[in-house]
Amino acid sequence: MKLPRRPWTPIPAFLFCLSVCIPAHAWSSGGTGPDGDVAHGAGSAAMQMVSIPGPLRSFMRMAGISQEATPEEMLPLLARNVSLHGYQVGSETEYLVLLRRYVQFAQDLRQLADAQNAIHADNCEQAAKLVEVLGYQFDPACGEKNAYLVTANAERAFLAIDSGFPITGLEDALQKHTPFAYSFPATQVPVLFRSQDWTSASIWRHKGDMTLVDVMLHDQELDRLYWALSKNDEETRLVLRQSRGLKSLLPLAPALEFYGSQVSVRAGRVLVPGGPDTEKGWEELVGASPNSPGEFIEHMCARDHGWLAAYFDALSRVSREQQVHLTSGSRLKQLYDVYRRAGNGFSATRGVFPRNADLLVLFNRMQWQPDGSPYIPGSLNEWKEILSQNYSPKLVRDWVRDARSWDSPEQLLMSLVASSCFTSDDSPLQIYLTLSAIDHARGPEGRLSEATVRLLAARFAEFHSWYLVFSEFPALNDTSVTQFLNAAESVSGISSPAMRSNAMGALQGNIGLWEILARQQQIPEAKMNASWQGVVQPFVGVSASVPLFEATRASLRSTLGAASGEANLSQDQIIELLAGPAQQSFAGRRTHDEIAQRIRSVLDDQRLVSLDTLFGLYDGLDQMAHGSGEKDPLIPLAASLREFEMPRAIFSPGEKAAWAPAIYTSRHTELQVRTDLTRVIQSPGSPAQLEAARGQLTPFLRDTLVGLNYAYYEPPGAQVLHNNPLFVRSHDFSGTSILGYGQVWDTPTLVGIGVTAGGGAYLIGSLANLPYALATAEEDFIAPENVQALIWQAAGPALLVDAIEPRWWDVSPAELHAAALYQRMGEELLMDATGNAELRGRVTEVLSDLMMPRRLEMTEQALQRPADAAAFMPQITPAEKFYLAAEYRRLYPEQAATWGAASKELDDVARSNPSEVSVARLSKDFGVPHPTLEQTNACAIVNVKPLPAFSGEDYGLVGESWESSNLYWARLADEMGYPAVSLNLLIPELSRHMIAKIFATDIEDWPAILRAMEQTGDEFRKGGIHLAAASTIAQH
Amino acid sequence: MRFFLFVGLCSGLVAAVASLPAMTAQGPSSRIFVNVVLVQLNVAVTDHNGSYITGLRPENFAVSEDKIPEKIASFEEGGAPEGSIRDAEMAKKSVAAPAGSAADGGAQTAAQATTQASEEGSGIASSPPPVSRLAGASVYVLFDTSDYMYRGFVFAQDAIGGFVRSMEEANKIAFYSYSRNLSRATPLTTDRTAVMQGVRSTVAGDDAALYNCLLLTVRDAAQLRGRKAIVVFSNGPDNASSVPPEDVEELAQSTGTIIYIISTRLAHDEPVSSAVFERMSKGTGGKAYFAKDWRDESTAFASIREDLAHLYTISYYPKLNPNRGWRTISVKLVGKELEKYRVRTRDGYRLQEQVPATTQAADGEAAAADPH
Repeated sequence: MKLPRRPWTPIPAFLFCLSVCIPAHAWSSGGTGPDGDVAHGAGSAAMQMVSIPGPLRSFMRMAGISQEATPEEMLPLLARNVSLHGYQVGSETEYLVLLRRYVQFAQDLRQLADAQNAIHADNCEQAAKLVEVLGYQFDPACGEKNAYLVTANAERAFLAIDSGFPITGLEDALQKHTPFAYSFPATQVPVLFRSQDWTSASIWRHKGDMTLVDVMLHDQELDRLYWALSKNDEETRLVLRQSRGLKSLLPLAPALEFYGSQVSVRAGRVLVPGGPDTEKGWEELVGASPNSPGEFIEHMCARDHGWLAAYFDALSRVSREQQVHLTSGSRLKQLYDVYRRAGNGFSATRGVFPRNADLLVLFNRMQWQPDGSPYIPGSLNEWKEILSQNYSPKLVRDWVRDARSWDSPEQLLMSLVASSCFTSDDSPLQIYLTLSAIDHARGPEGRLSEATVRLLAARFAEFHSWYLVFSEFPALNDTSVTQFLNAAESVSGISSPAMRSNAMGALQGNIGLWEILARQQQIPEAKMNASWQGVVQPFVGVSASVPLFEATRASLRSTLGAASGEANLSQDQIIELLAGPAQQSFAGRRTHDEIAQRIRSVLDDQRLVSLDTLFGLYDGLDQMAHGSGEKDPLIPLAASLREFEMPRAIFSPGEKAAWAPAIYTSRHTELQVRTDLTRVIQSPGSPAQLEAARGQLTPFLRDTLVGLNYAYYEPPGAQVLHNNPLFVRSHDFSGTSILGYGQVWDTPTLVGIGVTAGGGAYLIGSLANLPYALATAEEDFIAPENVQALIWQAAGPALLVDAIEPRWWDVSPAELHAAALYQRMGEELLMDATGNAELRGRVTEVLSDLMMPRRLEMTEQALQRPADAAAFMPQITPAEKFYLAAEYRRLYPEQAATWGAASKELDDVARSNPSEVSVARLSKDFGVPHPTLEQTNACAIVNVKPLPAFSGEDYGLVGESWESSNLYWARLADEMGYPAVSLNLLIPELSRHMIAKIFATDIEDWPAILRAMEQTGDEFRKGGIHLAAASTIAQH
Repeated sequence: MRFFLFVGLCSGLVAAVASLPAMTAQGPSSRIFVNVVLVQLNVAVTDHNGSYITGLRPENFAVSEDKIPEKIASFEEGGAPEGSIRDAEMAKKSVAAPAGSAADGGAQTAAQATTQASEEGSGIASSPPPVSRLAGASVYVLFDTSDYMYRGFVFAQDAIGGFVRSMEEANKIAFYSYSRNLSRATPLTTDRTAVMQGVRSTVAGDDAALYNCLLLTVRDAAQLRGRKAIVVFSNGPDNASSVPPEDVEELAQSTGTIIYIISTRLAHDEPVSSAVFERMSKGTGGKAYFAKDWRDESTAFASIREDLAHLYTISYYPKLNPNRGWRTISVKLVGKELEKYRVRTRDGYRLQEQVPATTQAADGEAAAADPH
């Protein structure tokens, strides 16, 4: 028997409850009555309660629910977990089997509890039954010296342990002859509607009493509906229930779960994307009026295998401005028509993820001409070619067959919408999104030429991951784009796999260094094109080792010259440059030194040869080949090449071949180990031999340049970078280690995980989006603080990237303070809204841009009373507070300073430092990269509602829609008196602590991140997190 | 400037600083190598039955590093207080006290060259070793809670519980568990109840990243002085690690951390893991056990407890050695009458760069909270 896998499902541990236990939760009823439904206490007369057997914390452990979940979340999360993890190809999983067993186990234990719900064992005799129920026995007999509990019945003992029964406390009490008492109440939790609404809707039948929990443990369809409706606001839920009853909604549960959370009924009417003006159009699409909300929602979910619901959901998630564009005139219906047709034959609700991610991204990114028509990078003619040449599914091909006769951008938009039904890295949709992002960043004056659009589209399949450089650095012109593609194609065409790999690594390593220095604004905008072209151009036409070495060196010099004015820098000087702009203040210097030291540390642990050694050897060999130069100084340099040793082998070559046949053979590294230039120097060799010796330095040069990139993006708490000295060297640029691997220019993938004889995991692919790949490699070395919590793999890498890719060298004290003031002003507005109906309306109107309907409803309710608002405040994210303040200042400038001290101070600061505290500036400095949502690594706060988890490439959207961390850390630093420059040290480490504290139940559990962030902040304030360098700065 | 220290050695005992200039294209290197502190070895001496040989003296050992003979700086047997050679010389005079006297609860001396008999003839003593022999050791228990563990989960907990209780008077114990991630359930502590609570609070689930989590545990242990050991309780192959076992073994060797591994699968069930377990534990001076049921698990724990109680701790200051890579250590017994015995200790170490303070703090919170 195997335990179910519980990815995402942190089965939380609980702290041991010694002899005297406190009731688990204040809201627990104590449960003196039967395990049936009871009415909730005062203030919640409408809310029914149902009984969970045993303490909630035990049930949560068994059900895979975070210990931090609230009682209101209990049944929805149970329903969610059972429907998702409880069944597999029609069979029940071990997860569900164990959960059911636990319910019976808890009922058995309840039989032992007294009227006060406590289980007592004052002596061995009293303990006998309890010990038996728990599946244990004493060895030797209870009461004898050194008697301990050991397993008697493994199945029951497992339930006792897994649910967190205090076995050690019982054992200890009996050994010491002290009374044991353990509170074991049934726990009351709220239920949506009434319990009987659900039990009567279920198709599961059972003899005897049937509680809602019993039903939930047996009816997957019902669970899915329960989970879906829990995400709606109250009025919407009621409308759905009253419309035709829960039973009739069961078939619609999948559509409601994936696409129903944005549906909101207010005042008896469905709020449709695009506003009231579009209601007629929606009525025609759906076949029911928004004014008949029950009918409208049912029809929408039932139509076209869920595609209409998916369309409604995608439109609902974008800004109101985009909604107006996308629903104006006949566009609403036309776009849906092609979307529906493209999805024909498939279901939008199959699988475990929503299928409208690409449509959502398109709707979010779509740009418009001043006349309201869709913006097109290049021209329509170019797009006719692109569409006719690119592979796409048959349905889309049919749609674009007549593209040559198109005369309107609308037709392109429709084809893109159709294309969004089919996930592909290089579809016309992806080309459009990427090119329009570049054009958007460039602005009207610098649009891509038609020729460049054509070129970029033609090479998109191979090089698209690198196009994000051009949206991040819009100063790079069309010539720079073209030269990059020429260089990339040139090195891709090198026939020798080893040479090709070295060339690709060297080119990408140098581009990576250029990006770092450009992002840190050390390369002035005026020098960007020349330096970029100097980086890529030398690689064109290179096909031998010595020219490649020289091209790589020239390429590096171009970057260094642009950044420092000096092209020939030592490795130490390069590291100083990468560590950030030169600093004058103590804090700045300390921060800079710390970052430089970390880069050195990675290079040392990767045992990479210094650039100084490589260039010194290369020049010395060159001089010897030309009859000059001394050989003696070269001997120690050549010897240092041989300092690198492979890790001591555990496996023989034969064992490795047998046990890890598909894994990289480290040929590149082994060649380096065998490299010995001392002989050719001492002989001395002929000019040809010396030339060959120079060529042997090229792989070393590649590795050091790649290593500098790895070191710069080191995630906090990294272990692979410090303990696997082959990690950088093993990077497989040409994809030779996996047969048929074709995505060599794509974002790298971590391979070799869990292959014990494989020599360790390594990256395959390019250096594009390297920070994300490194974060993926290192995230599992963060030790979760909550016992059964696991690192959240959907969000963890993105959260780490948010902390390591941006740097904060250019943030002024005023700007840092403003980041805090915006958030505090948001709080002031929220608090003041409790006593001001007009303000409350404005506040909720602004927040509706970011909040889902259910959460908006909760916020509105909390804003009715100051005490509720104060209690609810920690649940408002920093990004929401920031947005609220910024929008309010924009919409009501005359009231900007009237809501409290922070509002007034912010207004003063904004007047005296308008550019430093502008929203755009703060967005750039405290935002995060959105490579999937916005097709750029440029940082920004884009103000998007929390996005659900999608499959495939769109998985990253989960993390990208979290924009609060850096705002929060900035406020924390400001309030604790840290200078802005120290954010470069604080944010990575605090983010690591935050990730360790996340205690989430499911992959959309955003409140878990918010809680973890606030817990981290509180701990840091109290001195519980010690960061040596930051402390030094703080003490200075 | 770059510093290399021998991590895992007694810090604060820097003996000499040797600058090794290396010419580069930019001029003299700024590298400085700190050479060295103290190398500490935990050495088990057994006869052909696996029974421990006690009562040996410093002069009975010959230690070399890369074939360079080294002078023993300190010597300790079992859990006795560590002393300098001078102390050892003083103690030697009192060794006249019959070996196997009350102080060591019946362990036997080389002079007597008798062996302990175990209940099962495997060299495992039938009763817990004496207090003094276990004192001073820091032991990390690393428990596999991945989804492989369901069948024997509770029995494994019982076995670990028995081990923890049997170490009642040992110095400190930490209890960690792992699946895909490491959980530092109970940081290093003398409080056995806290450790037991940690053991009983584990919950099963998810993948097994043994080598990742063992690496983190070794790094925690690396910050400690004295004898330190990790006892891994594994129930299946690793399927989620990104670091290879080679790197973990090297770090353990370089930091003087002994690794014992108990596998709940028989060696032939899973040859890759079995090979790693045997070789990694041997390379660090520990042992691997393959238990077919919970009784075997308990026996394995008893054997580990015995092993820890019978280790000699020998330290030396390495003589000048230009090798900056792997350094091979050899420990031999001196004298014909001792040649028949087997010596088990780590077989070398690699120079470790000093970990920046912030990084160390980052990955060693448990140990940092309770370092000694």
